[in-house]
Amino acid sequence: MTTASLNQHTDTRADNTGYNFAYLDEQTKRMIRRCLLKAVAVPGYQVPFGGREMPLPYGWGTGGMQVTATVIGSDDALKVIDQGADDTTNAVSIRRFFARTAGVVTTESTSEASVIQTRHRIPETPLSSGQILVYQVPIPEPLRFIEPRETETRKMHALQEYGVMHVKLYEDIARFGHIATTYAYPVKVNGHYVMDPSPIPKFDNPKMHGSPALQLFGAGREKRIYAIPPFTRVESLDFEDHPFEIQGWDQTCEFCGSDHSFLDEVVTDDEGGRIFICSDTDYCNQRLNTGASKEAV
Amino acid sequence: MTTNNESRPSVTSALSLAGLCAGFDDPVQQSQQVFRRALTALSEPGTLQTVPVSDAPERINIASYQLCLALLDAETPLWIAPPLRTDALVSALRFHCGCRIVDQPEQAEFALTSPDFDDDLSQFAQGSHEYPDRSTTLIVQVESLDATANWTLSGPGIDGMRKVGIAGLDARWPAMLSDNRRRFPCGVDLLFTAGTGLMGLPRTTRVEI
Amino acid sequence: MYVAVKGGEKAIDQAHSWLDETRRGDTSLPELSVAQIREQMGLAVDRVMTEGSLYDPELAALALKQASGDVIEAIFLLRAYRTTLPRFLASCPVETNKMAIRRRISAAYKDLPGGQVLGPTYDYTHRLLDFTLLANGERPTTPPADETVGDCPRVLDFLNSEGLIERESVETEEPSDLTRQPLDYPANRDLRLQALARGDEGFLLALAYSTQRGYGRNHPFAGEIRQGEVAVEIAPEELGFPVIAGDIRVTECDMINQFSGTETEAPRFTRGYGLAFGNSERKALAMALVDRALRARELGEDVVSPAQDEEFVLAHCDNLDSSGFVSHLKLPHYVDFQSELVLLRRLRKEFEERKSGGQGPHAEPTAEPGLSDEPNENTQQLREANQA
Repeated sequence: MTTASLNQHTDTRADNTGYNFAYLDEQTKRMIRRCLLKAVAVPGYQVPFGGREMPLPYGWGTGGMQVTATVIGSDDALKVIDQGADDTTNAVSIRRFFARTAGVVTTESTSEASVIQTRHRIPETPLSSGQILVYQVPIPEPLRFIEPRETETRKMHALQEYGVMHVKLYEDIARFGHIATTYAYPVKVNGHYVMDPSPIPKFDNPKMHGSPALQLFGAGREKRIYAIPPFTRVESLDFEDHPFEIQGWDQTCEFCGSDHSFLDEVVTDDEGGRIFICSDTDYCNQRLNTGASKEAV
Repeated sequence: MTTNNESRPSVTSALSLAGLCAGFDDPVQQSQQVFRRALTALSEPGTLQTVPVSDAPERINIASYQLCLALLDAETPLWIAPPLRTDALVSALRFHCGCRIVDQPEQAEFALTSPDFDDDLSQFAQGSHEYPDRSTTLIVQVESLDATANWTLSGPGIDGMRKVGIAGLDARWPAMLSDNRRRFPCGVDLLFTAGTGLMGLPRTTRVEI
Repeated sequence: MYVAVKGGEKAIDQAHSWLDETRRGDTSLPELSVAQIREQMGLAVDRVMTEGSLYDPELAALALKQASGDVIEAIFLLRAYRTTLPRFLASCPVETNKMAIRRRISAAYKDLPGGQVLGPTYDYTHRLLDFTLLANGERPTTPPADETVGDCPRVLDFLNSEGLIERESVETEEPSDLTRQPLDYPANRDLRLQALARGDEGFLLALAYSTQRGYGRNHPFAGEIRQGEVAVEIAPEELGFPVIAGDIRVTECDMINQFSGTETEAPRFTRGYGLAFGNSERKALAMALVDRALRARELGEDVVSPAQDEEFVLAHCDNLDSSGFVSHLKLPHYVDFQSELVLLRRLRKEFEERKSGGQGPHAEPTAEPGLSDEPNENTQQLREANQA
């Protein structure tokens, strides 16, 4: 789908009268904006914010939406992806929400977007300076599954007591021979805070490091905002004898033949047949448009 | 489309509207634009951002004034350095933002100041190790932001290093900034302004001369 | 060729119109009006207002209609509306002592000044399906005798005058507001009460029940339950005195609980408090029990049960939080699932290799279709960058 066709889309279920630009009221936006400024000043630290109810359920991207609603302006072009794809239902729903409440241009092209809201992926196309990537975050606290109490984890961050995280990862190695965390793989930001990168596959972790784009994270239900400024050190936790590794596939994308992107496995029949396709639909389409194909590889 | 956008408490009874410095014509769009520049300033320290020309109260830089309009409201205590604390500024901010003006720098979420204040940066709220976000953001009015580049910045937001020239900072500043950085994760964050220019220096930035 | 989940736009549109049709049901039957719901489904309206944190029977009824009677969905609609409303003023604390009483009972005394006023209650109804309602519509009703309820002094004030119950300290500080600031632990009682007032009735009911069964037992007596209209007053700065903005119906519960005292303090009763919009008695009772349980720390009791655990209760009592996060499992998670598949296949392969008497767990994988976990170029770059 092209930008033009999206903008022509009209929704008949509700109109936007009665709500402010991008839904949130100005008082709420100012509060979130102040939190965002602190978030970039203390990279990786989770800033508590007075999260609001959004018209989408908690867990469906309300944190990301509040951040997007706060940063977005009428001259922005917005892209929304879920699982890397622009056409998944939740991505469609959020994109429509902003097209309706903010009247902004929407796009599926990674390079044309100035603000990209994402759930579970970082686009394959490298981001550039001036772009903002907004992550939807379900559980912002990387230590939560080790220590359920907020009062404790807050102390652990204050004291940089991150030994337990290494212990947990090492237990995996002892048991499985590998670190068994495959997504939401913890990172250390600028050598200080251990941070949850949201449930992106660890395949995407290296893209966070030194990215020229600004990365903002919003957790609505948990009411936390955090950020990674451009060109910031982001290291995935690992061990000298067990360095961080990312997933790879022996297959290539069924459509574009890519041998280096994150591939989704699609079951084609009930006899074990399956194909692999790019999870990033825009990336796949861009490659197809420039003549790439499985046969060409 | 913007029917319930602004509803700040009215304080008109205590104020004279005559000669009041104007606020934003379009608060929704202009606040967003100024915020985005502030966000870029603090996430890419040392880059020069500019805001459009507008009115500002006497002695107050246009960029300083627009930052206040965009970010302050009844929930943000503001400290203003005495030389800048004119009636014109205080009435404009009370009217447009409804913000509380506080007497003690450490009570302030935002501070509007010139670089020659007494004491040093540690007089402002520093945040705590548990809540480093609870620290003052300073808006510091300087002479110019594009003077001869004599400072080298590095840290998050900077690809390698960046050279800047901030004119009008006295000799105490390099040491104050380096102390501020040493307090990480605590510490204040600074937004320098000159005219319509704006430059950010968060607590993570290393400054070398 | 199979193509994964395409056409999201169309699918959503079609789902929405099907939903509209389903909500309306059989069109040969008359449509429910919002006014009918407001008047005849009053208890559902009250719950939606309470947990939706907005006193507006009309909008709560509309939300129920729009949500096909799904209470949590209706609460969600109301909250999402409420959150965008500008706030003009904070009201003065409501004076429930001056309530125009519809119902007022005390389980702690047989009779008391003001009397036991039963009011409209299901309490003593026999839960027998009334087939008259099904067959012939409403039974004729006789309006209750017009008895004006006289002055009803508070039950807890009787105990107070004897010093048998703790005195409620008068807070002078502005109460916190968790709709503006995120919850912070430890939370003060004002914040806890706000969270409980918005909290899910079912969740609080279960927790309250658990305290009665011994998980944080505190020997409760329903000191007083009152229901009726209270005036909401505001005091605008420019007026300098309070004016009445309107009346709201509320249910209030004062719970009396035991406290054995300490070395320095004589034994006395303690309090638990519940307040809800409309006729929401179950909610007010549950809230009062959980409020008291959450005061364990303050009263020097051991915190051993879920209902006493502030972080546990407050973090999980909001049904928008919980229903949203549980239902988000319906969203696609195939990227993370794929990541787990890759790892699991690798682990199983290594397991098989070990079993067939070969290599240890750190063996490098061979080329099995679809699977490898080799560091690739990206990782190498990162490692170099990290070392730099």
